[in-house]
Amino acid sequence: MSIAVDHPAVLLLLLLALLPFVATMLAASGHPSLAAVPRDGLSVFADATLRVAAAVAIAAIVLGLAGIHRRQQLIERQGRGAHIVLLIDRSASMDNSFAGRSPTGEDESKSAAARRLIADFVARRPHDRIGIAAFSSSPMPVVALTDHHAVVQAAIGVIDRPGLASTDVGRGLMLAMTMVEEGTPDAPRAVVLVSDGAAVIDRRVQAALQDAATRAPVNLYWLFLRTRGSRSIFEPPATGELDTPQANPERHLHLFLSRLGLPYHAFEATSPAAVQQAIAEIDRQEARPLRYFEHVPRRDLAGPAYATALIGVMLLLAAKLAERGLAAERGLAAERAASRQKRRETMREVA
Amino acid sequence: MVRFRDLRLGLLVAALVALGVALAGPSWTLPRTAYDFIIVVDITGSMNARDYTLDGRPTSRLDAAKRDVRGLIAQVSCRSRVGLGVFAERRSFLLFEPVELCVNFSAVDEAIAALDWRMGWEGDSHVASGLLRALEIARDLDVDLVFLTDGHEAPPLPASGPPAFEGEPGKVRGLVVGVGETKPVPIPKFDDTGREIGFWSAADVPHENRSGAPPTDASSRPGWHPRNAPFGAADLTGNEHLTAVREDHLQALARETGLGYVRLAEDASLPTELAAQARRRLIGTSVDLRPLPAALALAALVMILAGLPVIETFRIRRRPPDWSVVERKK
Repeated sequence: MSIAVDHPAVLLLLLLALLPFVATMLAASGHPSLAAVPRDGLSVFADATLRVAAAVAIAAIVLGLAGIHRRQQLIERQGRGAHIVLLIDRSASMDNSFAGRSPTGEDESKSAAARRLIADFVARRPHDRIGIAAFSSSPMPVVALTDHHAVVQAAIGVIDRPGLASTDVGRGLMLAMTMVEEGTPDAPRAVVLVSDGAAVIDRRVQAALQDAATRAPVNLYWLFLRTRGSRSIFEPPATGELDTPQANPERHLHLFLSRLGLPYHAFEATSPAAVQQAIAEIDRQEARPLRYFEHVPRRDLAGPAYATALIGVMLLLAAKLAERGLAAERGLAAERAASRQKRRETMREVA
Repeated sequence: MVRFRDLRLGLLVAALVALGVALAGPSWTLPRTAYDFIIVVDITGSMNARDYTLDGRPTSRLDAAKRDVRGLIAQVSCRSRVGLGVFAERRSFLLFEPVELCVNFSAVDEAIAALDWRMGWEGDSHVASGLLRALEIARDLDVDLVFLTDGHEAPPLPASGPPAFEGEPGKVRGLVVGVGETKPVPIPKFDDTGREIGFWSAADVPHENRSGAPPTDASSRPGWHPRNAPFGAADLTGNEHLTAVREDHLQALARETGLGYVRLAEDASLPTELAAQARRRLIGTSVDLRPLPAALALAALVMILAGLPVIETFRIRRRPPDWSVVERKK
């Protein structure tokens, strides 16, 4: 619990809470000597209660005026999830359907399917810290790892907008590995590459990726949105066909990624349904124990403070209504009225 | 004495009522203004030219633009929704759709800080086309636009001028922000791995766009031939390797598309310019009014405990005791 106030200077008024101990809210009545009043436990108790009630009421109002609240805080919790960077291909070919054509009517473009399914994926994983990177001819950091999924969803929302030039997977992966490293060191980390193609990875970038993989272990997933008719990444090419990175970059990217020494899974999807299955599989595998932080918003405590003050004042009011003057004093008032009356009569008689 | 007793009772009742009012939680809704817009930042090569100064050091246009954009989002109401995009080649590329700043501020701020020329997918800089694409995006999202660029077209515009704006001027509102100084400066050049290797020289860049129809005065150029040399045959010279903010070009674009124009300078304030140009969305901010009745209740209690006793003491001292009554009692 971390309690704070907005206006600390107002707390000086708390000194007013001492007032009930030096003054009383009951009427003073004339009495020759307090020593004449017998000591009475109940009276002492009632007196103390009323003074405390008044002090509490004053203190509570002052706290309320000072804007007492429980501070917004982060609470560490244990859950299941991971720190995930989604690396998304924004090249122009993603705008085509799985059949490799411009999407018409029933068809869904690869990017639209990816957008829909990734948005679901993120929505199902509330505890994850998620980052988004995009790549085409160059890598682009979009959203650094964050707990705020609204901005992540906003970045996923643009995936099906028209894509850019070509595909440079290598530098994109390098960026994603760097971004995911920025998370908490002991959190489970994953990079999910969503692309519909690959290109030859520069030898220098290959070396850099190998370094990054050795330095910071991450779980690597490749969701390959295969256009129907193109070659699979899992099958070696038929005899007589070239098996080089230039001829078949996707298969060689797969081979390169499996050689990195990281936990690596490739999923090949040739339809939105297959993409959904693959994402569900990633969802299942990335449920590792994770410490995450939950935001507890600021909570206003001025209301409860005023309620406390209200109870205190009600107590005082009850005492006030039950108040009776001392018998002597009541008699005194009556005597005074009588003597005034008598004086007036005397005056009239004299006149 | 009886009179004071009643006054105490009255004050207590007043305190009770005031606290009850405070507990009911009165508030007052103040109208505030929020804006919905996307920010599109030019990340082409000319934005690396260093003609700004930040903390006494030469700063690139891109860094100056990022600083001011971060200042802008820090100043607008946090209920504003802000999206971010980059411009390069002839496209504006949206990185994320508008999001409310209240909870997402740090993520948006970081994303702006992370903008880099290295995100560019191609080296060309067709500013006018990029602005038109940005306007389309903003129109689709039904938000306003803040477009930051130095207006440096590379390659230069063809003789026919920039592409025509076919939308409805004023449908999307917002700002074109001219970034850069008016004195031409060289443009840094980078190698394939992103290291700076000097500046672009006059021989590196085209100084005229020779696509499309030649300009009307081409026939007066030396070596002009209608078929073999429609643009003339002289060696091209020019200052396209240097860059200064093209204010005329940007102002013309802003006029045509119905946007406002402001140049990014020390004294320019993006928040006020945006407020002048963009569409406003009125939001209510509620002001807590509970302290008023609570303060009254406190005043009533203090009056009972401190105010009245002081007055009373004063009165009792002034009034001589009524001995006649006491004597008669004996």
